[in-house]
Amino acid sequence: MSNTLTPDVIGRRVEVNGEHATVRFAGVIPPLAGPWLGVEWDNPERGKHDGSHEGTVYFKCSQLSKLQEVSLRNCAVSCAGEKGGVAEACPNIRRVDLSKNLLSSWDEVIHIADQLRHLEALNLSENKLKFPSGSALTGMFSALKVLVLNQTGITWAEVLRCAAWCPGLEELYLESNNIVISERPTDVLQTVKLLDLSSNQLIDENQLYLIAHLPRLEQLILSDIGISSIHFPDAGIGCKTSMFPSLQYLVVNDNQISQWSFFNELDKLPSLRALSCLRNPLTKEDKEANATRQLIIASIGQLKTLNKCEILPKERQTAELDYRKAFGNEWKQAGGHQDPDKNRLSKEFLTAHPRYQFLCLSTCVYAGGLQVADFQLEQSFPLEYGAPEDWELKTQQPFMLKNQLLTLKIKYPDQLDQKVVEKQLPGSMTIQKVKGWLSRLLKVPVSDLLLSYESPKEPGIEIKLENDLQSLRFYSVENEDCLLVRW
Amino acid sequence: MRECLSIHIGQAGIQIGDACWELYCLEHGIQPNGIVLDSQENQLENAKMEHTNASFDTFFCETRAGKHVPRALFVDLEPTVIDGIRTGQHRSLFHPEQLVSGKEDAANNYARGRYSVGSKVIDLVLERTRKLAEQCGGLQGFLIFRSFGGGTGSGFTSLLMERLTGEYSRKTKLEFSVYPAPRISTAVVEPYNCVLTTHSTTEHTDCTFIVDNEAIYDICHRILGVERPSYANINRLMVQAVSSITASLRFEGSLNVDLIEFQTNLVPYPRIHFPMTAFAPIVSADKAYREQFSVSDITTACFESSNQLVKCDPRLGKYMACCLLYRGDVVPKEVNAAIAATKSRHSVQFVDWCPTGFKVGINNRPPTVMPGGDLAKVHRAVCMLSNTTAIVEAWARLDHKFDLMYAKRAFLHWYLREGMEEAEFLEAREDLAALERDYEEVGQSF
Repeated sequence: MSNTLTPDVIGRRVEVNGEHATVRFAGVIPPLAGPWLGVEWDNPERGKHDGSHEGTVYFKCSQLSKLQEVSLRNCAVSCAGEKGGVAEACPNIRRVDLSKNLLSSWDEVIHIADQLRHLEALNLSENKLKFPSGSALTGMFSALKVLVLNQTGITWAEVLRCAAWCPGLEELYLESNNIVISERPTDVLQTVKLLDLSSNQLIDENQLYLIAHLPRLEQLILSDIGISSIHFPDAGIGCKTSMFPSLQYLVVNDNQISQWSFFNELDKLPSLRALSCLRNPLTKEDKEANATRQLIIASIGQLKTLNKCEILPKERQTAELDYRKAFGNEWKQAGGHQDPDKNRLSKEFLTAHPRYQFLCLSTCVYAGGLQVADFQLEQSFPLEYGAPEDWELKTQQPFMLKNQLLTLKIKYPDQLDQKVVEKQLPGSMTIQKVKGWLSRLLKVPVSDLLLSYESPKEPGIEIKLENDLQSLRFYSVENEDCLLVRW
Repeated sequence: MRECLSIHIGQAGIQIGDACWELYCLEHGIQPNGIVLDSQENQLENAKMEHTNASFDTFFCETRAGKHVPRALFVDLEPTVIDGIRTGQHRSLFHPEQLVSGKEDAANNYARGRYSVGSKVIDLVLERTRKLAEQCGGLQGFLIFRSFGGGTGSGFTSLLMERLTGEYSRKTKLEFSVYPAPRISTAVVEPYNCVLTTHSTTEHTDCTFIVDNEAIYDICHRILGVERPSYANINRLMVQAVSSITASLRFEGSLNVDLIEFQTNLVPYPRIHFPMTAFAPIVSADKAYREQFSVSDITTACFESSNQLVKCDPRLGKYMACCLLYRGDVVPKEVNAAIAATKSRHSVQFVDWCPTGFKVGINNRPPTVMPGGDLAKVHRAVCMLSNTTAIVEAWARLDHKFDLMYAKRAFLHWYLREGMEEAEFLEAREDLAALERDYEEVGQSF
């Protein structure tokens, strides 16, 4: 078998215990067994000799046993070398980057890694590794915490097989593998905290159920998989799901999310604290970015960080108040009522706005996060949001002249035969101008006219419009009021 | 030997300093109370037995109790921001005497920072500086962190720099300055402060590395996926660049770059000392392990405007000098190949009178990232400092804004009231105009 280390490794950098060196020689040194790496230390005072050994000039280094981090990317490494060779040479390696090499099967990987008892992180990206058909493969990467298998063409079944060798695995990266999650991991992957499934376009939301019960999964990266919806059928409206119990940070950038129901579903996740959902059709960057952010905050109650920006309590309060006001009319039409006894909301409304009723409650509890001994005290902000009032729900009319007009009735109390006329007048019209118009209409001189008005809200009370220079609005004349003209 | 003193002035300088020392502590394995973590300690012991380890010494001073105290001074004319440090996570890292605060602030006014309010604090600051300098065996120079637009950052810094030149004439003084962003501004009178301070500081500084908030804001937003970058996000990114620049001073490397070497290699004429900063690769933490960036990838990226920390288009100018500071898994062979490839590109134009143009530094410690931060850990990174004539665009913009305000004498009385005269404004403006002309002249062909 050839050596682990091909001539391409010459010139590579290695680090041993904080000291750095450049590989100057790789190969066999007869009569010694195993592959050797000759390194030139950066520090000229280190090292045992000038590179010659027993007459033959080449480098030799015996400090390889302290080697901790090795990067052999793109080195055309194709196999593990002699059995035990690596273990003998550098048994303390913690992190190995073997990405973009020529390893062709898991056999070789196991042979290399089996000898490294302390291996914590292994990067095998961009290798096309084959699984031998027999199931005789056993290996234990007992210390392995991080496994990177991006762009390896691995299948889910193979992932589970690898996972069986890594009982303590915490981070698993499987980007761009065209993975289809085909089965639920039962004994494996139970310790995984971070799972990166980005750019696996064949994953859909149903497959996610299969990984929904990983007990320690805290961070799930689902960027660029083409997902557009998610659903947790085991939880009703406003309830928490039993799926993804520990999930704290979810990344769904670059997907096809276009429905608000997506965020309503995310509210069901019990531990979700942070979300990144950039570059989706619904959250496109434009003037509405702020409004979108507010809606997401209001939809997911326990969210603390959105798109890597912390959500401060004040921001949450504003977002929730705006949400309550924005959908107030819909709530009314769906049967909402300030009086809780008369409140009968339709199913559609509850499905579309599951948190709305919660926002209307009189007290809401916010996590201020005071950690006292073993439990967390939640700081309560007594929020008297309440159900939205009618005056809050009046929509703001655009500023156009026709919206500024007051519809008024004109009565002539002293003239019994004149009809009541309805007329639209701008609120900014001065009394003088009103009189002038009336004068032309009634053929009565201006100086003879006496104007006053009464409001249907307060019948019987008549308010005189005495100052000619003031406007109708000055006198608080409103829509549906009645102008009384006497002469 | 070769110690460096960092002085952080004004709110910007102090907040950058906070992020900076946090990063240095992470890189050196120093805990927030100044004690080194055990495992590193052992390594240190081993290394010490073989040769004297000078890496800590340049930036940290070791007390007899084994505590490592940063060689830094934080100065502000009002107490709020410094109180943040006094009560913050790193309060036990600094000696109380290193945190100097006045009572009345400069109110965004250069005149107050320089004349009225600043003059009351300057003697105390100089005394503290002297104390820190005395602790050094062979002080190399000063690193000043400040913003151009603020009152303290502009006014007080001018005063301080003048006095430092008087007392420590042979020491290098480098600045890390936050330049007012083109479209984002935090103060209306920024142009005044900026022009006045540039005029007074130019002759006292050896080299000023500028960054602007807008460029870093854009990077955080587009590349790191932070929807609304806060100053914390911006500062964390900026200090990665600062760390790369000072890495040679703090760690042994295969190709070290001293403070004086920066000057020698980047500054062709004394007044042309405003290099632009760029950093690569910038990878979001959500995309860890996705791409591997080779030396040629990161070198190319440095010349792209998306990796620049200043909003300025280098394609509109010519490069006079370039300093590439690599860190991590980098070998000279790859660096040479990358540089050769860059030189052959049309978009990278050098002035006629500077044929070689590149200074390279290699340090083997890869960049450290803050846990829970926005950046992903990478194996290698590069920080590029390039002296390009395109930076004159930044000065021209600033001068234009200054002219618009000065033509109407708007806001001027606030400065005149504190004892300044209009003549100083005119003088400063003339100086900046001369600076623009200087840049144009060096950019011309033979």
